Amino acid sequence: MTEHAYFNQYQPTPNTWDEMFGPDAKIRKHYQKVINYLTKESIDDLNKKEDLAKRLFMSQGITFTVYNSGEGIEKIFPFDIIPRIITGDEWAFVEEGIKQRLHVLNLFLKDVYSNQFIIKDGIVPIDIIYSCPHFLREMYNVQVPYDIYVHIAGIDLIRDADGTFYVLEDNLRTPSGVSYMLENREITKRLFPDLLPQCKVRSVTEYPNILYKNLLSLSPRQISNPTIVLLSPGIYNSAYFEHTTLARLMGVELVEGRDLVVSNNKVFMKTTTGLQQVDVIYRRVDDEYLDPLVFNQTSILGVPGIMDAYRKGNVAIVNAIGNGVADDKAIYSYVPDMIRYYLNEEPILKNVPTYQLGNPDEKEYVFANINKMVVKRTNGSGGYGMLMGHAASEAETEDYKNEILKNPRDFIAQPTISLSSAPCYMQGQLTPRRIDLRPYALCGPDGIEIVPGGLTRVALREGSLVVNSSQGGGSKDTWVLL
Amino acid sequence: MLSRVASSLYWMSRYIERSDGILRMLKINYASSQDTVQEFTWEPVIRIFTGLQAEEKEALGNDSRAVLKYMVLDKENPNSVLNIITQARENARSVQEHITKDLWQCLNEYYHVVRDPNLNFWIEKDDPITALDILIKQGMLYYGTVEITMERGEGRAFMNIGHYLERGIQSVDLLDTKFGSLDDNPDLLTDTTYWKHLLLSLGGYEIYLKTYRKGFEAENVVEQVVLNNEFPRSVLYSVNHIQVYFERIKSENNIDNFRELSFLIGRLQSSIKYSSVKTIKQDGLHEYLTRIRGELFNIGNVLNQHYFAYS
Repeated sequence: MTEHAYFNQYQPTPNTWDEMFGPDAKIRKHYQKVINYLTKESIDDLNKKEDLAKRLFMSQGITFTVYNSGEGIEKIFPFDIIPRIITGDEWAFVEEGIKQRLHVLNLFLKDVYSNQFIIKDGIVPIDIIYSCPHFLREMYNVQVPYDIYVHIAGIDLIRDADGTFYVLEDNLRTPSGVSYMLENREITKRLFPDLLPQCKVRSVTEYPNILYKNLLSLSPRQISNPTIVLLSPGIYNSAYFEHTTLARLMGVELVEGRDLVVSNNKVFMKTTTGLQQVDVIYRRVDDEYLDPLVFNQTSILGVPGIMDAYRKGNVAIVNAIGNGVADDKAIYSYVPDMIRYYLNEEPILKNVPTYQLGNPDEKEYVFANINKMVVKRTNGSGGYGMLMGHAASEAETEDYKNEILKNPRDFIAQPTISLSSAPCYMQGQLTPRRIDLRPYALCGPDGIEIVPGGLTRVALREGSLVVNSSQGGGSKDTWVLL
Repeated sequence: MLSRVASSLYWMSRYIERSDGILRMLKINYASSQDTVQEFTWEPVIRIFTGLQAEEKEALGNDSRAVLKYMVLDKENPNSVLNIITQARENARSVQEHITKDLWQCLNEYYHVVRDPNLNFWIEKDDPITALDILIKQGMLYYGTVEITMERGEGRAFMNIGHYLERGIQSVDLLDTKFGSLDDNPDLLTDTTYWKHLLLSLGGYEIYLKTYRKGFEAENVVEQVVLNNEFPRSVLYSVNHIQVYFERIKSENNIDNFRELSFLIGRLQSSIKYSSVKTIKQDGLHEYLTRIRGELFNIGNVLNQHYFAYS
């Protein structure tokens, strides 16, 4: 069965959870059907499939543009043809854990922007909250529909060497990548005909319908046909493809800041037949650029006065403004305590142990063990500005320590977790690469729904533990089995 | 429909029509440059489709391949096919949810084709017509995709207004330029290949042969290009279609703006419909064409002001 050269050479990384190979070097049951299918294909066939995937991404314009010397270069987000497979049981666990976590994060945001019981009861220290740049006083006592702040969450999960799932980050502001979840599946349908139904892979196509249903329910005006728009920074944004895909799949208008105007605390869009009132905005513009009258004054991506319309309840904005206080990396470490505090339950999904460098004892410990640590900025993202202790040189480490000492609150450290690996098809061979998982959870008045799937990001460089696309990451189709 | 979206659809359509006009013109002129004993001049083509100054035109000379390269692939030439298609695609990209997926993929593919390094090779070293044909075919794919897949709504109406406005302006420009050359060189009046090429570059050669049995005469050429409503690149045909598609965006919400523009279009339409070759000659062809061009430009400006201006 495994005579093929590309197959025999597969060497799982030691001390790592491999999604395909079990500890006894046997193929896990849920990968068996895919492997049977693959072994019937020659290297030539697989190379052809890889080419087809590239062509499909290119011709559909699923690209991001890198602007270099005045000329745009189209790049595709690297895609690995071998799917990542999650069993029904694993998924049930993940789903339950994310629901619990998202429920609590919404409660926390409501609390922190109103009564602040969690601070008064000493669960989360006040200075951690007020020193967070994403805690927005402008949101204090704003009524948001159904007390939902996080409508869309992309919570990043990783697996340790024993296969335990950990939450790495809660992305509660404008998580991106969901279009790749949808497009990767479309590509797989073309690459491996019949394989999806044979393996009983659950469908992800409901995502835009659920999101649309939730957006519709948020309309402040009780009318039969509210106007819902997706606010994008415009075609130069690297996620623009995603914005158009979602707008198209939901059948809503894609707008830019310059298409909107606020008059009498209501938001309107400028159409060929005059102004039309907007009820719900799914925005993909960050908080600080949203309203130049309140936040960044130089922003031309936003809409002057939109914050007033929002505070008056004349428009719903998704996700709510000010969510950054809940996915700040320093506040992250308090999420398990929040779950105990608000729900009196034990957290289902574990946190990665996190050291606050603002705390002198923990800083001491981290500095002593820095080569076993990953140090991150609390407000960083995209894999920028991190220190991977095990890979950094002496000098890099010293420089980074000096950075930390300038403002320790801005940093956290976590022990290096050996991410799980999955087989990738690279240059005619199957080789293990590190992966993570970002399922997309949608929260509406009817509760939290998660389509069975998500984005699996892959660290394509050998030995790398960083999966961000800006750091040489790619993606895989993510299968959840029935 | 958002003003920005209407504007992007209109410009996407104008750009495609312009690139189609340029490509056909280049193809015919290149073929013609291979079929002459005298020195072939690219001057009229360069004059219509570029804003080059005299000395820059001089530098380009009458080197066919250099002209083709400049008109098709030059990144510095804002009106090169490469740049126009890039613009068309950027416009399409910003309104992807208003055009069909097929249309977006078609334009996206056109964009990748026009950047294919082989085009440069064909134009510089091999047979340039291969390159031009590939691009013309991409344009035809676009027209077919629009016809088959696009919803017959407001968006399509704006696309068609852009399409026919651009086409009308092109036909006027071409005719004016070709007849302008007659002033310097009256011998061309009796040169049948001269008229043949003019008609070929508008795709109107065959229809001319069927309509006029007595060979090439300047008056008949004017009649066909300005007044023949059966000829899809005539000025009258273009203006009639601007009128048809403009009627479709009538809405009670901005009826005053609609009336103003409707009046401008109707006036132009009548003034062409009730001209004849005789009256055009009385007015002077150049003056007549200049007036029509001015009115076409004005329609574009008023449209922009009342329907697209969103700032």
